[in-house]
Amino acid sequence: MSRRNKVLKRGSSAEASNVIRPVKLTRSQLREIFYYLRLNRRVDEQLTNLYRQGKVVGGVYSSLGQEAISVGTAYALDPQDFVGPMIRNAGAMLVRGYRPRDFFLQYMARKDGPTGGRDANTHFGDLERGLIAPISMLGELVPVLAGVGLASKIRKQKRVALTYVGDGATSTTPFHEGLNFAAVLKLPLVVIAENNGWAYSTPVEKQLAVRDIAERAKAYGIAGKVVDGNDVLEVYEVTRHAAERARRGEGPTLIEAKTMRMKGHAEHDDARYVPREILEQWRRKDPLERFEKYLSANKLLTEKERIEIEKRVDREIREDVEFAEASPVPPPEDAARPIWA
Amino acid sequence: MPTAKADKRYGRESVAEAATLERMLYYLKLTRAAEYRIERVLYRQGKIVGGVYVGRGQEAIAVGSAIQLAEGDVVLPSHRDSAALLIRGFTLREIFCNWLGRANGPTCGRENTTHLGNLKLGVIPIISPLGDTCPVACGVALTFKQSRKKSVVLVHFGEGTTSRGDVHEAMNMAAVMKLPVIFICNNNAYAYSTPTSLQYAVKDLSVRGPAYGMPGVTVDGNDVLKVYATVKEAIVRGRSGQGPTFIECKTFRMTGHSAHDAAEYVPRELLRQEEKKDPIPRFEKYLVARRVLTAAQIQEMQKQIEKEIDAAVAFAESSPLPEGTEAVEGVYCGSDCWWKTTRTSGQASRNL
Repeated sequence: MSRRNKVLKRGSSAEASNVIRPVKLTRSQLREIFYYLRLNRRVDEQLTNLYRQGKVVGGVYSSLGQEAISVGTAYALDPQDFVGPMIRNAGAMLVRGYRPRDFFLQYMARKDGPTGGRDANTHFGDLERGLIAPISMLGELVPVLAGVGLASKIRKQKRVALTYVGDGATSTTPFHEGLNFAAVLKLPLVVIAENNGWAYSTPVEKQLAVRDIAERAKAYGIAGKVVDGNDVLEVYEVTRHAAERARRGEGPTLIEAKTMRMKGHAEHDDARYVPREILEQWRRKDPLERFEKYLSANKLLTEKERIEIEKRVDREIREDVEFAEASPVPPPEDAARPIWA
Repeated sequence: MPTAKADKRYGRESVAEAATLERMLYYLKLTRAAEYRIERVLYRQGKIVGGVYVGRGQEAIAVGSAIQLAEGDVVLPSHRDSAALLIRGFTLREIFCNWLGRANGPTCGRENTTHLGNLKLGVIPIISPLGDTCPVACGVALTFKQSRKKSVVLVHFGEGTTSRGDVHEAMNMAAVMKLPVIFICNNNAYAYSTPTSLQYAVKDLSVRGPAYGMPGVTVDGNDVLKVYATVKEAIVRGRSGQGPTFIECKTFRMTGHSAHDAAEYVPRELLRQEEKKDPIPRFEKYLVARRVLTAAQIQEMQKQIEKEIDAAVAFAESSPLPEGTEAVEGVYCGSDCWWKTTRTSGQASRNL
């Protein structure tokens, strides 16, 4: 890893004082993380606007409030590693090199988008960027990424495979089969269980009868860890540690990131089944605000720098929306073209 | 419900009444002798076609658990739990007629292994893709819960099956809904030729119980009394609405996967070691020492069993094979179907 190590003590900010640990990140890396968090949120907000303007057909799945998980985990990986994101992991895709315009083009089904207008969601990936496209059936990515880990092991590469499941997906078959397989073969796999409290309208209490999803790690004989999913540095550090274990051949890790889905399942869902006061509690733990406060309290980000980053993000979003809107919709004869070949 | 505690609480003496102990020995020996006849005699004589799956060496698991079921309870055995079928009321005649593919067997010659079920006896037949019975068990238990019955469900599966998603989904659902299911893993060390070291990365599978939010216990599956005591406690939990239990019974598959399989992949030394743990001689020794039975009584029991089996085999061998035209009967239609009402053969065999 070429990143220059500089140990920072955390905890001087009152908001994020519950975890004090050294995080080996440089100032510019911290600012980069802030940039990606901001970018993730703005992409989300922009997609909501486009959806409400009738320019996006189909579902828009927001990662509002969960950005720290996508960004913190993806940022902890090395370039040769592989990521299999879910629909709420736009942040991970941005860190791996996709640009906001890719999302706008995709959601508006434009010809220049990664799938050429065939999919109006985030089902796109790029092996060059170490990105496996999301699979809508959640949990299915676990065996796929276990396969990536197996290839890495057979080829004696130092490649780590990381993927995500929601609390709901932990009840599925592929989650179990994939994780057990990876455990037996000690594959370099990291599974992030984003516990956002709700699987569509199913609360987590109806999903599993244990307090922590991380408890499941014991069932497979692998490492398990609970992290505050709204604390980007904790997410980063624990993921980094799990990836290093995986690289050393010590097998998979299951990381449960506790968070909250701050919107409905998708944009059409007003989530009236979620008690409002719970949302209110979580709003106070917003990962962006917390990180920003931490950075400024520790003098890691000046007011000027923050405004600069925000302006840069806004500009990029504006340019990319314009680019996407100007892009043509695909001709109907394109529809069947790249199928089976 | 840790193992050590369970063992202490149920001292071996207090485990069951003498009559139950005797019944347990009877079914252990009956199952062993019947399966011997099936696997080592009839199959080798070419009278049984297809695969033969027996539970030699692991009979104590099905016996120690099914013997405690009450009317209304349901068991979903695996293909190595014929003892459960016998205990729940399938007759030897039915078992042999089925293996020999006879027209008057429970499946009328359409199936010739252990896919036997009867809702009146509280037996749901095995499903060959192992693990698929686990969600079925949850469904049965859910109806018990909804209709406020105090009944419980026992479901058996092997350690290989625990790697399947069906087991995962079922155990999670049972834990969340507090269903009266007792998940019994017959851990016989080999899933066909796959040893446990390639099946899972934990020492005891019972750690999976707490991972779902239910108790998990590992017991010596070759000790029928330990199985009995552990299942007993799980049944109490189930009946009183405290939810499911996961019990791992460690045992050893004393045959190949099927009768055709010489299991050369199993180290011979290991087999010799495991042979010494045979559940039947162990239990006999205990019964004699506790003066529940004398050696002579046990011998007499064995003779009686052989006689019963001889009679059942003779009956099955003299039973007719099904007519070719009967093959399509009972498929996609019930007894009111014109095809059935115009014919008399192919009736279910409950009165054998």
